[in-house]
Amino acid sequence: MKTFLNILLALSLVGTAGAKEIKLVNVSYDPTRELYQEYNAAFAKYWKAKTAEDVVISQSHGGSGKQAQSVINGLEADVVTLALAYDIDAISEKAKLLPADWQKRLPDNSTPYTSTIVFLVRKGNSKHIHDWDDLIKPGISVVTPNPKTSGGARWTFLAAWAYALEKNNNNETKARDFVARLYKNVPVLDTGARGSTITFVQHEVGDVLLAWENEAHLAIKEFGADKFEIVTPSLSILAEPSVAVVNKNAKHHGTLAVAQAYLEYLYSDEGQEIAAKNFYRPRNEKIAAKYAGQFAQLKLVTVDGEFGGWQKAQKKFFSDDGIFDQIYQN
Amino acid sequence: MKLNQLILAAVAGAQFAFPAFAADSEATNSTGATQSGTPPAYTAVGAANNSTGAAEIEDLKKEIQALNQKVQSLEQQRRSEQQAVTDTNQEQIQALAQKVRILERHRELDQESADAAAKSAPKISLGTGGFNLTSADTNFSISLHGYVQLDSRTFLQNTAPGVDGFIFRRIRPIISGTVFHDFDFLIMPEFGGSSPSIYDAYVNYRPWPELQLQAGRFKSPIGLERLQSAKYLSFNERSLVTDLVPNRDLGVELHGDLFDSQVSYAAGIFNGVADEANTGNSDVDNDKEFAGRLFFQPLKATDIGALQGLGFGVGGSYGNEYGSSDLTSGYTTDGQQKFFTYNPAAGSVTANGAHWRISPQGYYYWGPFGLLGEYAISDQRVKLTAAPGTAADLRNTAWEVSASWVLTGEDASYNGVTPRHPFSLHKGGGWGAWQLVARYAELNVDDTTFPTFANPATSASAAQAWSVGLNWWLNKNVLILTSFSRTTFTGGASGTVTKEPEAVFFTRIQLAF
Repeated sequence: MKTFLNILLALSLVGTAGAKEIKLVNVSYDPTRELYQEYNAAFAKYWKAKTAEDVVISQSHGGSGKQAQSVINGLEADVVTLALAYDIDAISEKAKLLPADWQKRLPDNSTPYTSTIVFLVRKGNSKHIHDWDDLIKPGISVVTPNPKTSGGARWTFLAAWAYALEKNNNNETKARDFVARLYKNVPVLDTGARGSTITFVQHEVGDVLLAWENEAHLAIKEFGADKFEIVTPSLSILAEPSVAVVNKNAKHHGTLAVAQAYLEYLYSDEGQEIAAKNFYRPRNEKIAAKYAGQFAQLKLVTVDGEFGGWQKAQKKFFSDDGIFDQIYQN
Repeated sequence: MKLNQLILAAVAGAQFAFPAFAADSEATNSTGATQSGTPPAYTAVGAANNSTGAAEIEDLKKEIQALNQKVQSLEQQRRSEQQAVTDTNQEQIQALAQKVRILERHRELDQESADAAAKSAPKISLGTGGFNLTSADTNFSISLHGYVQLDSRTFLQNTAPGVDGFIFRRIRPIISGTVFHDFDFLIMPEFGGSSPSIYDAYVNYRPWPELQLQAGRFKSPIGLERLQSAKYLSFNERSLVTDLVPNRDLGVELHGDLFDSQVSYAAGIFNGVADEANTGNSDVDNDKEFAGRLFFQPLKATDIGALQGLGFGVGGSYGNEYGSSDLTSGYTTDGQQKFFTYNPAAGSVTANGAHWRISPQGYYYWGPFGLLGEYAISDQRVKLTAAPGTAADLRNTAWEVSASWVLTGEDASYNGVTPRHPFSLHKGGGWGAWQLVARYAELNVDDTTFPTFANPATSASAAQAWSVGLNWWLNKNVLILTSFSRTTFTGGASGTVTKEPEAVFFTRIQLAF
């Protein structure tokens, strides 16, 4: 019997010995499709040159919160590249698939690129939308996704809140009223940023899209500068999308080393160039300077500085019965 | 424009009215001119008249100009109003279009949500296969099904030892399912016997159809008839050949289907049980039994319809068994009466070593026709308990062949008949499927068994049974069996069961789901 099992084991090893293709699953948020399409090809080339191994990366995209929940529910991601650190924290806390200190494993708190939230309006800006104040005027139709499921929408909510606080001398009641009025002007809440872009661009719903900076640039690139224009508000938020290896999954798949290298390569010159070309703000100063012209200068608050970090912000604004639930239901 | 023309027309009209005055004036002037010398006063009057007319004309011109301006202003106002109306309409249309787009987007998002919810929702189904609950990713499932058989037996011989009456032959609820995609399980209790018991309980690890590992209590992989589910049997009872193969046993089995199930194999190690016996929850000795089966359906995947239903193979076992529990308690007739038991007139017999079985087997199904045959040898070393030196290898053999024909034309198969037109008395209902069945079987006990290891007066050395029946498959779930079996015996002239042939009329109502 033992001999028989040994033979079976040997046969199975023989069956896998010839396989050199490595499969990696990257679970990402909504608007990174184009970024990772380009980056994956570059990394595969780099990895092949370095190790002679073929690596095939499968992408999964959706609202950041939804994607995190999918990983918690069993989607076997080797790496996650999500819109905000809180979503990866959730994976660590609820599914224990990676250590709690995952942010310390890569530079810049594991955020290889940044972005912010800007306005995308229709060409001519007939509704004269220039800053957050204009979004709460009656008759203005604002398109933004649902903060409960979308990372970008959470950044947007916090940017609007930060603006309202600054304008109202840190009066939270007024800030709450401001944001409530803003969301009253939102006719459709998509689950993710890409869905909102489709709503605004293809379905021609709304006067303004509150978008990731990279998504706004992409919409103009894709659909033409004669159709849309970007409006940069006076204040926004420094959005820091985070990346992490999902240790348990990668270990189980035997992809730990390649997964780690995959994320590290995001910090390489080539990785940073690709990020910048896709309108993400690179961390690398030299490359950031090279692409400085495509990014507007504006005041950017941070989630740590303004809101005390994601844990507090999430609990206060986006948890069940949090401020967003209260204002949106009312 | 029209208003303008109207005013000009009015002015022109006024000038048409004036000729009277003009003619008079001219006439006057003419008169004056014809008269020699015009009187100054008259000239002055005429001049005054001329002056007045010019002023009037000037006034009229101004009035016309004013009117013209008024008309233009009115036209401008009208245009503005029209533009305003147009703009308002345009805005309303745009607003409505926006609302429509928003509603359309909402509908799309609702649809997406519904689709996503449907994808993540478990699927529930209830049908001929029972109640099934499957997770959205199909990795987990549970199924509740089972079958119940209510039989009647009527013994027709003069001194029948069997009891006429109804009997719950089987009551078997089944819980089966899958966890983590590759792990199947099945639990099947039996409530039809004298006391409830667990008949089948196993876990099957199924990484690939070709290689599966099953552990627990289940049918030992030897007999063809034994391996057929009880709910698909053509007769109430399996034939004499099944007396020589084991029933359920505890063990571990490697099995699989190769080449699109054209080849099936099973090989396992079991506690080992006596012929026709079920295992208990533990072994009665330290020795184990190896059992296996190889079965071929080589033409299953071909286009040759007449040969697709051909299957043949061989099952067998080998092990060492000791003690009375590993020796059969007896071989039974179709009427479930024991026609042979070990033990001579005095003393008892126990298993004492090697026990092997071999069972060549096959079936053939083509359209409504079915044929199933099986041969079995059970060779077991036994000894007298009181005289261990008195031992022997006893080789018992049996065989059977059964044929069936579905009168209503449905396909016969190893897994029953599916009626083309299920029975219903309501409009549009059919009459189900009707099947004729016939069987012949024999069992021969080793001649050296008598008289040392069995009493020739009470146990038969051979039995021959023939059966005919008519089965009514009302639908996929309900089956009515009727059959008659007659068993004759060789030897055992004084035995209660064997002194005269057994003749039994069977019926069965079966509900399987």
